[in-house]
Amino acid sequence: MIFTNLCQAVRISQRAKSKTILVMKLTAVFILAGFLQVSAAGFSQTVTVTKENIPLQKLFREIKKQTGYVFFYNMRLLQKTHPVNIDVKNKSLREVLDLVFEAQPVTYSIVNKTIVVNDRAPLPPPVVTQVDTVPAVDIRGGVIDEVSGTPVVGANVVIKGSKLGTVTDGSGNFVIRAKPGTTLVISFVGFENVNVTAKVGSLSVKLKPSKDPMADVVITGYQQIKKESFTGNAVTVTGDELKRINPTNMLQSIQAYDPSFQVAQSNLLGSNPNSLPRVNLRGSASLPTGGGDVLTRNNLTGNVNLPTFILDGYEVSIEKVYDMDVNRVQSITLLKDAAATAVYGSRAANGVLVITTKAPQEGKLQLSYSYDGTMSAPDLSDYHVLNATDKLEYERLAGLYKAVGDRTANDQEELYYKKKSNVLAGVNTYWLSQPVRTAFGHKNSLYLEGGNATIRYGIDLRYQTQPGVMKGSGRDRYGLGSVLSYAPNKKFIFRNSLTVTQVTAKESPYGSFASYVAMNPYYPKTDSNGHVLQVVDSWLIDTRLQDSSQYKTQNVLNPMYNGTLSNFDQTKYIEFIDAFSADWNMTNALRLRGIASVTKRKYTTDRFLSPLSNEFYNYETSRLKERGSYFYNTVDENIFDGSLTLNYNKQLGDHFLNLATGVNVQTNSNDSKSIMAIGFSNDRFTNIAFANSYALNSSPDANYTLQRLFGSFMSLNYSYRNKYMADLSARLDGSSKFGNDNKTAPFWSFGIGWNVHKEDFLMNSNISTLRLRASTGLTGQVNFEPYQSKTTYDYYTSNWYSTGIGASVITYGNENLKWQKTDNYDVGMDLGLFRDKLYFSARYYQKLTHGLLADIILPPSTGFNSYKENLGDMKNTGVEINLKATAFKNRDWTVNFTANFSRNDNKIVRISNALKAYNDKVDDEQGKNGLQGTPLLRYREGQSINTIYAVHSLGIDPENGKEIFVKKDGTQTYDWDVKDIMPVGDNTPFALGYFGPNVSYKRFLLNVLFYTRFGGKEYNQTLVDRIENADPRFNVDSRVLSDRWKKPGDHALYKDISLTDKTFVSDRFIQKDNVVELQSVYLSYDFEKRLYSKLSMRNLRVSFTMNDIWRTSSMKTERGIDYPFARSFTFSIQTSL
Amino acid sequence: MKNYIWFAIVVLSLSSCKKWLDVSPVSQVSEEELFKSAEGFEEALTGIYTNCTNMNLYGFELTGGLPEVLAQNYSISNDEFLHYQQAVNYNYKDRFYIAKKDTAWSGLYNAIANCNLLLKNLETHGEILTTDRQTLIKGEALALRGFLHFDLLRLFAPSFKSNPGAKAIPYITEFSNKVTPISTVTEVLTNIVNDLQQAKELMRQFDPIVTAGYKVGYNTDNPSTEEASSSLFLQNRRHRLNYYAICGELARVNLYFDKRTDALTNAMEVINSNKFPWTDAADFINSDPKVKDRIAYKELLFAWYVPNMSDTLNTRFNLGLKSLIIEDNACQALYEVASSGGDRRFQQWFKLVSGASSFNWDELQKYQRDPDKNRHYMVLPAIRLSEMYYIASECTYESDPAKALSLLQTVRSVRGIGKTLTVANKDELLQELVKEARKEFFGDGQIFYMYKRLNRPFASLLGSSIPASDKVFVMPLPDNEIEFGNR
Repeated sequence: MIFTNLCQAVRISQRAKSKTILVMKLTAVFILAGFLQVSAAGFSQTVTVTKENIPLQKLFREIKKQTGYVFFYNMRLLQKTHPVNIDVKNKSLREVLDLVFEAQPVTYSIVNKTIVVNDRAPLPPPVVTQVDTVPAVDIRGGVIDEVSGTPVVGANVVIKGSKLGTVTDGSGNFVIRAKPGTTLVISFVGFENVNVTAKVGSLSVKLKPSKDPMADVVITGYQQIKKESFTGNAVTVTGDELKRINPTNMLQSIQAYDPSFQVAQSNLLGSNPNSLPRVNLRGSASLPTGGGDVLTRNNLTGNVNLPTFILDGYEVSIEKVYDMDVNRVQSITLLKDAAATAVYGSRAANGVLVITTKAPQEGKLQLSYSYDGTMSAPDLSDYHVLNATDKLEYERLAGLYKAVGDRTANDQEELYYKKKSNVLAGVNTYWLSQPVRTAFGHKNSLYLEGGNATIRYGIDLRYQTQPGVMKGSGRDRYGLGSVLSYAPNKKFIFRNSLTVTQVTAKESPYGSFASYVAMNPYYPKTDSNGHVLQVVDSWLIDTRLQDSSQYKTQNVLNPMYNGTLSNFDQTKYIEFIDAFSADWNMTNALRLRGIASVTKRKYTTDRFLSPLSNEFYNYETSRLKERGSYFYNTVDENIFDGSLTLNYNKQLGDHFLNLATGVNVQTNSNDSKSIMAIGFSNDRFTNIAFANSYALNSSPDANYTLQRLFGSFMSLNYSYRNKYMADLSARLDGSSKFGNDNKTAPFWSFGIGWNVHKEDFLMNSNISTLRLRASTGLTGQVNFEPYQSKTTYDYYTSNWYSTGIGASVITYGNENLKWQKTDNYDVGMDLGLFRDKLYFSARYYQKLTHGLLADIILPPSTGFNSYKENLGDMKNTGVEINLKATAFKNRDWTVNFTANFSRNDNKIVRISNALKAYNDKVDDEQGKNGLQGTPLLRYREGQSINTIYAVHSLGIDPENGKEIFVKKDGTQTYDWDVKDIMPVGDNTPFALGYFGPNVSYKRFLLNVLFYTRFGGKEYNQTLVDRIENADPRFNVDSRVLSDRWKKPGDHALYKDISLTDKTFVSDRFIQKDNVVELQSVYLSYDFEKRLYSKLSMRNLRVSFTMNDIWRTSSMKTERGIDYPFARSFTFSIQTSL
Repeated sequence: MKNYIWFAIVVLSLSSCKKWLDVSPVSQVSEEELFKSAEGFEEALTGIYTNCTNMNLYGFELTGGLPEVLAQNYSISNDEFLHYQQAVNYNYKDRFYIAKKDTAWSGLYNAIANCNLLLKNLETHGEILTTDRQTLIKGEALALRGFLHFDLLRLFAPSFKSNPGAKAIPYITEFSNKVTPISTVTEVLTNIVNDLQQAKELMRQFDPIVTAGYKVGYNTDNPSTEEASSSLFLQNRRHRLNYYAICGELARVNLYFDKRTDALTNAMEVINSNKFPWTDAADFINSDPKVKDRIAYKELLFAWYVPNMSDTLNTRFNLGLKSLIIEDNACQALYEVASSGGDRRFQQWFKLVSGASSFNWDELQKYQRDPDKNRHYMVLPAIRLSEMYYIASECTYESDPAKALSLLQTVRSVRGIGKTLTVANKDELLQELVKEARKEFFGDGQIFYMYKRLNRPFASLLGSSIPASDKVFVMPLPDNEIEFGNR
């Protein structure tokens, strides 16, 4: 029991040194026990004694006799005592003892049934002052938070120059034994240290919250620049702030702090946890350079516009960031304009995101733990499909039960009534709910850190499951990391971090969600025995071909059937990253830093389709051996990134210099191999070993790419009296992706700024901040395939000639290939009023990209259809606005309001002949099956890449239910012609952004965030695909029945219900795209100290986050076509021991 | 100062990094890498042949596709699913037709670009090869360049006979993205003859086929001298442009160029070499598909090796009304079954299929294979021995009509036509030659060029006459060629 007492004492103390002292005392007590006389007897709880001048030793014997309490004491100690006069009757033991010891130089404590006699200092002493020779007194005081006025619990109070101290109690009060006049240092995490002079009486200490050290600097990855004197455009967000918006998706959170960082929402992929987000910053600066495939506006690849991601000094992929644990993030810095990014040269044009992870803190072993439990539920509220009765009615109206082929009208009618009887019997399957589920995911992160000034260590462990709302899909992440830093002296710091991550991404075996939306509600999903049916219906279809294949039978297969099989589709990767850095502080001003990181990542994809799958249902009997397939793919990625930077920081009078110069080397290899096997005997043997053969006419596929980058850079930040500042940076980059004649290219930037509020005339005014900044520069981009500058041969490996293997030229290499260059212009202003209680900042930028890499069409007589050339210009202009206001504040309450908006205009200034040729091809494709109703991407000079192209329409003719189009010459027609296609709308919103309040009340914090987008136009694909072009054999949007034209005189939005011909793109489907979404609600509570300290914790916070819970839009459209969107609710606990 | 030094080091090191930044692909091969080894040159040459055997070029389209359709050799039904319905009527605005001929144009020029890149590297790095190998590769590359240009000329330019000075096609001799100006028909032909002539001289001394030990035969023969060489590259000379194939091509080109003496010399060189034996009737008609020789393998001076093409050809010729078929009556008329029966080609190359409503058609069996075992490799004919006889016959008539007739008669009798021919004049001979060639070249893609060369009207299957005109004979250049080449 003594032991327990001592342990509590340890816990109360925040400092390791006092703990050591306590442990020493504990040992002393045990040793002492050897010299102690021990006696034991006694029965009563009260004491009756009347004695005069009795030595304590005798009195103890008496008390023992009466109470049975045993005394522990040292004879030497008792010699100091003097005898007492005592006269008590039936007093409690404690009262008696208090009386006895009152005037003695010793005191006592009761532990269980033992009374320990010891020196006046209490056994578990909060104060240790024995060494003092000058008498010390108890100094009392209270510590409060200057801002909120609340007591600060657990603050350290230390006598300056000594290791003695205490901590404040639950009410923020402390008692320390110190000599009056000494200095006490009061400190607490998150507050600035305060020195007070000890004096008798009550001290009142107010702690000022310290600013986050990271909040005042901009980390560019190569240097740290004071925010105040930086002219570039950078946004810094801490890891905690990120977690507050979305605890599971960091990229999504960044967006909320800066809407120019846009994470595109994919309407096809919905909330699939395995779809990597497509991100772009300040608009698109590249054109897609794909294989010339026609692009719908959905599959427009965003990846060419990805920003560069830098993690602790080395470049990482977006997937790494996506799979990172936000708990490990100290802060992220978003670099946007040239002044901020030019130091990254050829990788800078799309912005740079710099991520810094937490470094281990000095001190005793500390363990932090956080748990996030996430529930996601599918959001099907945007789907409005017909029910069984209505669906059958629609089929009748659409003329599906007219005679077709060899089925007479009677046969068809019979079919209709058969279905009708099903409906009347109550079959009304809600197919949408079949492949989805409410999913629960967990995340456990554990972080251990500690060490001293020389050696510090950190170990993190993570286990995270993120199941998706489609059954069977999910992404599981496991991580293990360690950081070790070693600083042998003040000159050197070495740090090594090693992380191992494994991610398993599973796709749902249930297939595309769209196939469930299309299922008719009158189909039963199981037979009478409860087995899932594979074929639920078959239609006889008139293909309108004038030949023997005019009528064909089309089976309706149950998409759920695949889910009952052992199909799987999963990609795993395991990643090792080792990053080593060495810092050499040559002088106070000069520092040399080297970073080397090695990344190894190995992906494996296994995709098995059972031979019983729907995909093989229609195989002819001769191909039965080919049913079932297995796709296997491995990718090996090896990356080395190294840099050496020399930093120079010096204050010379009024001048401040911050210079970084260095070199950066990067190599990146990617080795991919895949095979496809077919022919499986049954559903159970899913190993590739059971495959019958390789896929027909296939051979193993492999691809190996290697790219290298070398850069040398210089970046200078200069400020004069913190009033006037300038930034200058330059980089010379060399890349293997470019032609021999252009292996290197220079980049630069220049920025100036003026802190107007530092001028005398604004001192003591209400304007607390007024900063003006401007920058310009040239940045580049290399996000394209390697080897495009090389003439390359490919081997006909699967097709040997009789005289050997052949090789043939596949690309015409352009040795003159250059970088894509972007001219940046950026001006901005920051304004803070009333001590920054109202803070406003605005930015205007222009990005002019020259030499867009594009395909140039060649006359085919050259032997090639196209080659890569730098041709084409694009312009992005935009405005970003940020507003922060502290609306209300008192002791308990703080109410803040933040809002940020951005707008980006994109304009194609010049394009290559290839893109013009592409447009012609698009015209051709527009008429083809499946694409008639989809506005295709076109490139026209003067238009934006967000422009929507369609034919102008006047709507539906009430007379006959046909659509009236307007030709280019203004005449009206019923005939759609691809030549009449013109720009009819722009998807660019007037602005998009986030806003919401942030309220704190005592220990509660509430953060609400709305997203909005307005002023843009969008083509409502649902109206076309699911109302007009919908195949009446499948389920459709409910507006089919209500809003389509049925009889002359109907002023309908949609054409004649009985028309089954295809609807072509027209501006009839263009609608306003105004959206308001409640993206995040965050509520947290920090427990009081007395509660968590009882649980032996250093802090305890619980929080609840809701994401994507509510949405309203001017456009009613089906969202989440292949994978539904999800609403998610996360409960988190964060603590440390 | 320190920083300046630092920066200087950086800049210096950067210049030495240029080599480090020079990265070569691994799963593909860069031009420099490929031509660092002797094998690379061989592979680049072989690659051109493989390239040409894709189904948009000689693998199907230029052999059994467009030229045959335009020569009215097929009865195209409404069901036909390869989209020749418009091409057969010379509707050159049809998008399917445009796609087919544009693909052929760009494919042939891509193969030519391969030839030019190979020739360029032979000039610069050829010294790593032995002289005989270097000469052989150069000869074949030049010959291929001529061969491919000749087919482009025959497809996309007016015939020499109708308009020798007409703008024809660009003759590309350099690997570059620069536009080469268009030459006239005469210029192109001159260039082709030059290339082929040069190739012939180079090949004469080094081509194994010229040696007496190289005996043409079936690859299943034991021993097969065609596969005797220890180097795979030197085997099966007839699958590549060998010396005699070049002679044959020269005969062909010179005849088109109206240089009959040269044509005759070259044709006779092949005939007199006695390298290529006629196919035994017993092999031709053998009922066992495993030892049957339908395409007269031994008579092929040059053939494309297409082991993967069986399925493709099957779907093009043997899927009933969907495929390229010939109405039985028309086929019988074409082979003059009534008057000169016993033509083994008719018997062996066509399979009668009876359709509904008494419509009977024949499906081409020329390229049918046994799935397991065959007498010879799957090849598509490019130059046949019989063509040499036809050329010789045509070129001899003026000087020796009897010899001319006997040359023609030789082929006819080999094919089982016993009836002797008599002709009154050159025109009658030409008429017989055309009829004979149409029978011989059915599905070979050659007869169209003969019509064009002679610039004569020709008969459709229905018996009507198609007038000789550039509207029929000349394919328009691809739009991309006109637009981006400023044609």
